[in-house]
Amino acid sequence: MSIAQLTKAWQPMSYGFLDASAKRELRRKMLKAIAVPGCQMPYASREVPMARGWGTGGLQVTLTLLKPSSVVKVIDQGADDSVNAASIRSFLSKVSGAAETWDTLDASLIQSRHRIPEERLHAGQILVLQVPNPEPLRPVEPNMSIARQMHADADYGRLWLILYEQIVRSGRIMEGAAYPSLVNGRHVMTPSPIPRWDVPKLHMAQHLTFLSAGREKRLYAVPPFTKVEPLVFSDVPFKVEDHGALTCHRSGVNGFYMNEIPQGDGGSAFELSDSHLGIKAIRQAEGEADQIGATWYQNGHLA
Amino acid sequence: MAYVATRGGARAIDQAERLYRAELGQIDATRVDAVRRALPMLIDRVMGEASLYEPDLAALALAQAGGDLYEAVLLLRAWRTTQPRLAIAEPVCQEQLFTHRRISAAFKDIPGGQILGPTLDYAHRLLATDVLQGRPYTPAPVTPAATAAPAYQPSLAAWQKAQGLVADPARTEVAPDAIPDLTREPLLFPAKRAHTLQSLARADTGGMLTLGYAAMRGYGNAHPTVNELRLAEAEVRVRHPRGTVFSAGRVKVSQAEVTSKGKSGQLSLGFCATLGWNEVKVISGATLDLNAAAAPKGSPVEEEFFLYHTEPVEASGFCIHFKLPHYVTFQSSLDALRGAKTAAAPQSEQVPT
Amino acid sequence: MTQALSLLPPQLMTTPPLLTMTGVSRRYGDVVALQDVSALVYPGEVLGIVGESGSGKSTLLRMMNLEDTPDTGDYRLALPDLDGNLFGLDRFARRMLCATRIGIVYQNPHQGLLMQHTSSGNVAERLLIAGERSFANLRARGRTALEASEFPLDRMDARPIELSGGMQQRVQLAKAIALEPALLLLDEPTTGLDVSVQALVLDTLKRLQRDRAITMVIVSHDLGVIRTMADRVMVMRRGRVVEQGLSDQIFQDPQHEYTQQLVHAKL
Repeated sequence: MSIAQLTKAWQPMSYGFLDASAKRELRRKMLKAIAVPGCQMPYASREVPMARGWGTGGLQVTLTLLKPSSVVKVIDQGADDSVNAASIRSFLSKVSGAAETWDTLDASLIQSRHRIPEERLHAGQILVLQVPNPEPLRPVEPNMSIARQMHADADYGRLWLILYEQIVRSGRIMEGAAYPSLVNGRHVMTPSPIPRWDVPKLHMAQHLTFLSAGREKRLYAVPPFTKVEPLVFSDVPFKVEDHGALTCHRSGVNGFYMNEIPQGDGGSAFELSDSHLGIKAIRQAEGEADQIGATWYQNGHLA
Repeated sequence: MAYVATRGGARAIDQAERLYRAELGQIDATRVDAVRRALPMLIDRVMGEASLYEPDLAALALAQAGGDLYEAVLLLRAWRTTQPRLAIAEPVCQEQLFTHRRISAAFKDIPGGQILGPTLDYAHRLLATDVLQGRPYTPAPVTPAATAAPAYQPSLAAWQKAQGLVADPARTEVAPDAIPDLTREPLLFPAKRAHTLQSLARADTGGMLTLGYAAMRGYGNAHPTVNELRLAEAEVRVRHPRGTVFSAGRVKVSQAEVTSKGKSGQLSLGFCATLGWNEVKVISGATLDLNAAAAPKGSPVEEEFFLYHTEPVEASGFCIHFKLPHYVTFQSSLDALRGAKTAAAPQSEQVPT
Repeated sequence: MTQALSLLPPQLMTTPPLLTMTGVSRRYGDVVALQDVSALVYPGEVLGIVGESGSGKSTLLRMMNLEDTPDTGDYRLALPDLDGNLFGLDRFARRMLCATRIGIVYQNPHQGLLMQHTSSGNVAERLLIAGERSFANLRARGRTALEASEFPLDRMDARPIELSGGMQQRVQLAKAIALEPALLLLDEPTTGLDVSVQALVLDTLKRLQRDRAITMVIVSHDLGVIRTMADRVMVMRRGRVVEQGLSDQIFQDPQHEYTQQLVHAKL
């Protein structure tokens, strides 16, 4: 036995950038998060070569899950080509040798900022959502320690009160994105700033979802087949954004969440937020063999 | 030809980075050396905030970032994450600090003397514009004192403890790897003492100054007197697995201890220390530490408030993240707003009242 | 559940007490706040606790609301699914009990109300904690509670911070009775209000008590309030109970020297 046989050559960084002790802590917290769905688990949150607030939490979870056989898709606002998504995707493949893809159907790991793809995810896929503020009680209680105690006590009365008063004042619930939702009937979480359109996709899903906030140092999870119920009154139904009837002006696809593009003449054009779905639709129309998977929404309504 | 989405994103960010770096030109060892020699106080500040003592790397980070302090600290912290932890050094006691500067505002004179050390405190702040006219500024040489100042000093607090002016809590032994480590554990409140001190040590100088100033002006209950301020060098003593303790070199450290009247007839103390010499930070930090215990809930001088908000990497990162696209959430809010507008119209939706 | 007491001829009280407190003691450092205090309250009865500041009466009320635990003492409520010394309940059980089965009105409305939310919202919060999820029901039950507290319904969505002291107390009252609790605690409910407003609030309390036969404990330093509301009175001084008995008895024939002072000092 020689030293050369017993040791590995020095490398500037570990596989997947994070060192073993960082990954171990993350794995333990991720397992804990799965064990108590929707409950925020504090973690150390190591620094990575990217500014805080730019997805370092999602990045740490993805780096921990990465294997050489992983196929990663990274989107921001639904677009693979967004500058921040491009930057993260290249970093991931550089530190792991994993393959990159834009196609939801081919990905094993999807890291996303603020959207869930339109094509249904299946049991072999993990979704990692980037979270700026993990605390749904923040509007009610800015102090994180007190909020933590409120979650332990299931003390959500004041959060419900905010929703009640929105109806009293404006006739409807005014929450836009990041709609507070009850997970597994016990913990209220913020599903990250995804639009209301995307929240039903988390309910009883086949796939595992992690939500991670690097700056605030909290991560939580929605395991497969777990209830995710937006906080609603029994007689004021949950309403998603009114996009069911919109058509994408570039691909012709309709019935999915759209980006509104203000036009010079004062009107608006719409385009698919899930940009690669649009690309596949265009390519299909041109006779290419692109596959579009089953979607959560059909004809503009939840299937 | 089949439709291929233009991959403009990756190209755009690449060129944007090139545009930024074009102004800096080539970065070589000469430039790093010039930064290292010319800007020692800035290097100290950056090492403190990065919680990484390596002046050459700090100079490199500053050169690479073009002087952007937050970028330099992020570079160093990200590099720090990749390095293995080799050992935990032996604790440093006050009496072992190789002291360059040591003053107290609490007494006119103290055992060991008031040592001004290197400071601009009493200099006249006149800009030496002659330098730009071709007449370099050469500082007058130092005249050595008749008797050298003592290199090692007792702590004033020790005298105060003996007098019963300051509480002297019993010392508890903690095994080196049982010391809580902020870089490896989440910060939860009420914070462990070790976490508080570590957080103060690597806090953003500007942020600390802002909140420390607020505390000094009355947002805190305790008005500080500087009990002892030190600029010193600490020996990094490492224990070999076979038992020998040897010195791995010295690092510059600065610390401040501030005091004010506390409960039941004793003085309260606040403390802050950091790597490198940074007086503004340690005095502000010690003042915040002094005020933390009695801070009103929800005030800016409460520990949870100042520790959260003086984190340079988190604060600057979150601030600039607002430049990222937010159009999906914006669209969602617009939808809620437009829905509410139509609801306000006479024919409103069926909401039970 | 409470029952309206019918107007029968006087009978021996055979129902067991709703509230039983025995041997409650509490010190804060050197200060003795309560010393071996015991209390009994029967269903549908109003117990008045009177004393000057420092008597421990408010501390005792906080104990009844499980906001504080004594150094020693036993506290029982004769309610379904409740057993044993309530001071021993875990945090979760204690919060649930306070939220759903005990109502409290504080002297300072800022303590009992969320001032920046609507008045109806303050009542709704109680209902939401108890699990009400229908918006229509929240509005209807909120109206019922506010009406019973004689609060003008056209202002049900005004925020307490915009209301007068008397109105704020009515919102507190509505919040306290919204879940029809078995026990209602009131700490100096009319202190600080204008005399005329005091009279109106007391009228409301009396009507409420008569219509719903709520069991009440009222703390006040004002003998007039106690005299108006209480069936039985407990006089406290420096943490101890110095005398207790039927209201009429105490006011007409006080036994203890201190009680005599209090009664005769009233102008």
